[in-house]
Amino acid sequence: MIHRLSSVVAKSVPRLVVLVCSLFFAAPLLALARYSFQNVPTILLGWSTLFDKWSVTGVTAVFREEAFWSSLRLSLTLAAGTVVLTIGLLVPTALWVHLRLPRARALLEFITVLPYMVPAIAMVAGIMIIKPHARWFLNSDLALVPFYVVLALPFTYRSLDTGLRAVDLRTLVDAGRSLGAGWPRTMVRVVLPQLRVAIISAVFLTVAVVLGEYTLANTLLIQSLPPYQELFVGREPQAGYALNLLALASTTVLFAVLALVTRPRRRQSSLVRAIVSSPAHSSENPS
Amino acid sequence: MSIPPLTTTTADRGRTNGAPPSARLRRRLVGPAWGLVPFLAYLLLFLVVPAISVFVDALRTEDGVSLSAMGEAASGQNRAALLFSVTFSAGAALVGVVVGALLAYAAASLERPRWLRTAVTSFSGVAANMGGLPLAFAFLTLLGRQGILTKILSTMGWDLYAGDFELGSVPGLITVYSYFNIPLMVLVTLPAIDGLRPAWREACSSLGGTGFTYWRRIGLPVLTPSLLGGFMLLFANSFSAYATAAVLTDNSKIIARRIGFFLGGDVSIGEDAVGFALASWMIIITATAMAIYWIARRRSERWTA
Repeated sequence: MIHRLSSVVAKSVPRLVVLVCSLFFAAPLLALARYSFQNVPTILLGWSTLFDKWSVTGVTAVFREEAFWSSLRLSLTLAAGTVVLTIGLLVPTALWVHLRLPRARALLEFITVLPYMVPAIAMVAGIMIIKPHARWFLNSDLALVPFYVVLALPFTYRSLDTGLRAVDLRTLVDAGRSLGAGWPRTMVRVVLPQLRVAIISAVFLTVAVVLGEYTLANTLLIQSLPPYQELFVGREPQAGYALNLLALASTTVLFAVLALVTRPRRRQSSLVRAIVSSPAHSSENPS
Repeated sequence: MSIPPLTTTTADRGRTNGAPPSARLRRRLVGPAWGLVPFLAYLLLFLVVPAISVFVDALRTEDGVSLSAMGEAASGQNRAALLFSVTFSAGAALVGVVVGALLAYAAASLERPRWLRTAVTSFSGVAANMGGLPLAFAFLTLLGRQGILTKILSTMGWDLYAGDFELGSVPGLITVYSYFNIPLMVLVTLPAIDGLRPAWREACSSLGGTGFTYWRRIGLPVLTPSLLGGFMLLFANSFSAYATAAVLTDNSKIIARRIGFFLGGDVSIGEDAVGFALASWMIIITATAMAIYWIARRRSERWTA
């Protein structure tokens, strides 16, 4: 009896958890969508007005704003700069650690968690202190780029590290080198193609972090997209909510594409698979 | 079914590569270490220097070093803001840990529908990064004074705002922050839950244990490091969140916003040291939580390696 009861409970509790969580996660998005697309004050909302005044004027109003385009342009520029700097700094470092300094992997993993230890608002405080000493640099809007690289670091390094762990880098490099390719050729033709997925996901994560970054931009009075999102809600609520819905939707699309790209793939060139799966070449301790 | 040795850590695995330590190897190691210099120099410049200068400016006065700003940052209204932040962050972390672990367990154990697990993990990847302005506005449209759910509840006879509820209060912030905390917990704890081997459960029941015995003696003890680590991560995550709170709370109630207020320049000269002292306290608290998270994660990897 007790066993029957507990098995019923064991079966229904997970389902209930999934159901309640689905409602909790869907509700705010639906509410935001209603405000973006329906122009009826909540006071008047009821069964009789449920289908009144639905339109996309909120969304189109966003696109007519000159300030929206300029803030979007700035945010995209910041994202591009952050991506370039991140890849330029992290790919060589991660490759170096995996090829020449495997003992430092745990250390690097720890270092890349450090940005979590300094909250963004505390980082702004630090930037404001050093600002008088580097005004020539920190007065520019693009001065945010190097700090955004740091903010995105836990995500980006981890994604590169995971990608590097999945391939037997040393064997690939040895194979390329013994077939007569020089270092640059080995990197471009053998190693980087293997890291394509890891690099793409690092890029996507960086873009997502930069496009949503509010704390630094707002405190340093830089009109990138997130501060504008806040400003715009204050001025035109419906269009402002529509803008925030758009921001959410584009982040979601970004992550959905990322999930598609990084989906584990079975098809891998058979040569690479043969080299990688050959036990004789495994330099890693199988555990 | 192999159970990994208790002492397997990443460091050990790294050490099994290559030749036994020798003077030559050591000489070779001095070389490769230089490859890290650009990366470390970069972090020094753009992370360590700003963080250290916060502490320096919090401790520096005209006539030397003093703890007075740190003390002032931990008393009066500042103390209230610190305590408020710690309270709601701990609450949000607790809710996130419990619900997140339950959801991860549900995703791992429910076999049907088969797409459920993929759906939960993919959505968690998105929602864990969803904190910020749009999320705060979404909750305003749902649970704000003019929110839809507020309206629905009031037609059902429950006036949400009759008491002292608001989205900027402890229950309100916990609700909103759960939106990114629960998915983050799912991502953090799913590997550990996958590491629970069916054989353990079978061994438990063949020795006469019930489901309760299994969780009490095996399941929870194995998951403890991962749950503790998750709590610390979620705490730090909630404690340092700024954008979401910027929409939902008034200026000086929580510590992150209060620092923003000090940095905004509306304070008299000499008081900015207090702002930096608040930021220092914030770094100390977040760094402690993350350090515990780090240690706990190392421990939990024993069972998932």
